[in-house]
Amino acid sequence: MELIRLAAVLGVLLLGVAIGWALTGHWLFGVAVGALVLSGAWRVVTIVRAVHAWGYAEREDDLLVRHGLLVRRLSIVPYSRMQFVDVSAGPLERAFDLATVQLHTAAAASDARVPGLRPADASRLRDRLTALGEDRAEGL
Amino acid sequence: MSHGPSGTDPGQGPAPSPAGPAGTGVPPAPWPGSPAGEEPRQRLHPLSPALHGAKSLVVVIAGLSWSTLSRVGFGWFVAMATVLALGATVLAVVSWYNTGYHVVGRELRVHEGLLWRRTRAIPLERLQAVEVVRPLLAQLTGLAELRLEVVGGGKTEAPLAYLGVAEAAALRQRLLALAGRAPAPAPQPVAEHAAADQVAPFPPGRLLHAVVNRDLLVSQLLTPQAFFLPFGVAFVVAQFLSQGSWSFIAVASTLTAMAGVLLQPVRRVLDDWNFRLARDDGTLRIRNGLLETRVQTVPLHRVQTVGVTWPLLWRLKGWLRLRLEVAGYSSGEPDDRNRPDRLLPVGDLDTGELVVAEVLPGVRLTALATTPPPPRARWLRPLSRRAVGAGLDERVFAARSGLLTRQLAIVPYARIQSVRVTQGPAQRRLGLATVHADTAGGSGAAAHDRDLAEAWWLAAELTARARAARQVG
Repeated sequence: MELIRLAAVLGVLLLGVAIGWALTGHWLFGVAVGALVLSGAWRVVTIVRAVHAWGYAEREDDLLVRHGLLVRRLSIVPYSRMQFVDVSAGPLERAFDLATVQLHTAAAASDARVPGLRPADASRLRDRLTALGEDRAEGL
Repeated sequence: MSHGPSGTDPGQGPAPSPAGPAGTGVPPAPWPGSPAGEEPRQRLHPLSPALHGAKSLVVVIAGLSWSTLSRVGFGWFVAMATVLALGATVLAVVSWYNTGYHVVGRELRVHEGLLWRRTRAIPLERLQAVEVVRPLLAQLTGLAELRLEVVGGGKTEAPLAYLGVAEAAALRQRLLALAGRAPAPAPQPVAEHAAADQVAPFPPGRLLHAVVNRDLLVSQLLTPQAFFLPFGVAFVVAQFLSQGSWSFIAVASTLTAMAGVLLQPVRRVLDDWNFRLARDDGTLRIRNGLLETRVQTVPLHRVQTVGVTWPLLWRLKGWLRLRLEVAGYSSGEPDDRNRPDRLLPVGDLDTGELVVAEVLPGVRLTALATTPPPPRARWLRPLSRRAVGAGLDERVFAARSGLLTRQLAIVPYARIQSVRVTQGPAQRRLGLATVHADTAGGSGAAAHDRDLAEAWWLAAELTARARAARQVG
């Protein structure tokens, strides 16, 4: 939802690369720009779809995170297994007023990442997760 | 006998030293000017810099390599090696002088460094396993290295190298007692008992299993490396004979390369020699090694995963290998030698079942039922469909995989950290999905290519059972 704008930015970046290519290259540039525009459009479509595929649900005892289009992934992370919560916002994310919440467990393989949240939502989720985690703290 | 983790002998007061070293008779020098009221800082054993120096000599020689030897001649080579090793020894002495450790409350503090002072405080609640390692040189001098494994550490935390054997054993006892269920940071129970029985060749506690060395040798001969060795030797000899060049460098390099190939099985034999597994209430004691003996102590409630492997050639003899995953041993450690994951280097099914039942109570290895994925999974795994499978047991989740080298991963529900369901494009077309159960440290278990509905059910069931198991224990 929110990431559509990020997708647009990515499209612009791709176009920028294409123009840079056009300035340096010779007759190949037309083909290159065409290909890039096509792939950029495709990227936009897939990113929009991928964003729609991303979702999370806070259940009573665990957090569900679902993402992925080609390879679909669903993670179920119990709150009691949570080690720490990361809230991060890169420069691009900050420009669009977004943040990413990531949940870490003791297992390296667990990936529970919720990107593209409003900072208010992100901090609410973080606070809720830490509160729930403290209630049920278990560790290993 | 030892004081177990429940070791409650308080009231000894803050004795200055955990135990008088029996091995060499040199008391560890107390740290000068340590603040009053605290336990004085202990130095490492005075011989340790010499050992570090000797160790670096080996590294130096290996680093200079054969080609340098041929280029500069023998005399210069020796001189270079000596200078470098001496330098390393001097550094080791300096670092020894500045290294100290002591137990404060429920923490072990390790101080080190001359220019970059570093103090590590290791909370003992987080202690996963303790290991006493004795390399060859240390065995000759009666010293030992103590390693602590803590969750989240990228590498083995605080290798205290080297301590006297008795001192190391006493410290291990004490750390385990503190790490155990000791409730309050009361006056520390000082393990002041005679440490003599800990130096005994066998770990204390009930002996569960001892691997016969002959079986170990045979088992390593049945590895691919050993199997193909004759072909390799024949190839090299043929090449030499055809070219007729027997220069020293060529022979030496070939031998080094051969040693590299053979290193793994030989290492396994050396490492697992005299393998003894013992149980001492709530902890596992594993002792192994020929040149480098190590005694690992793993609290049973820290075991995350048990892996069973049936290598292809071992199936002739019906043998299997058991591995143990403990959180804290980082899976990123390149040298899997330092990952003390052997639970049983080689053994038959009965032994395996006995050991598994001991480590995971109530689990019978032979009774673990797994079901294979639905028949349409054969498009993804034409050969190995029958070999993979997964099953829910009363207390554990078991997943089987591998056609040639059969593997079985057993994860107790209580140790599951998170559950994942993944579905690749091909799997989606076939309506299949893979369910992963992640554990701390190690890879966990994965049920490959289950029917989609079954995968959802499996994930929900795993989550529910994990929650129930957590609440119970």
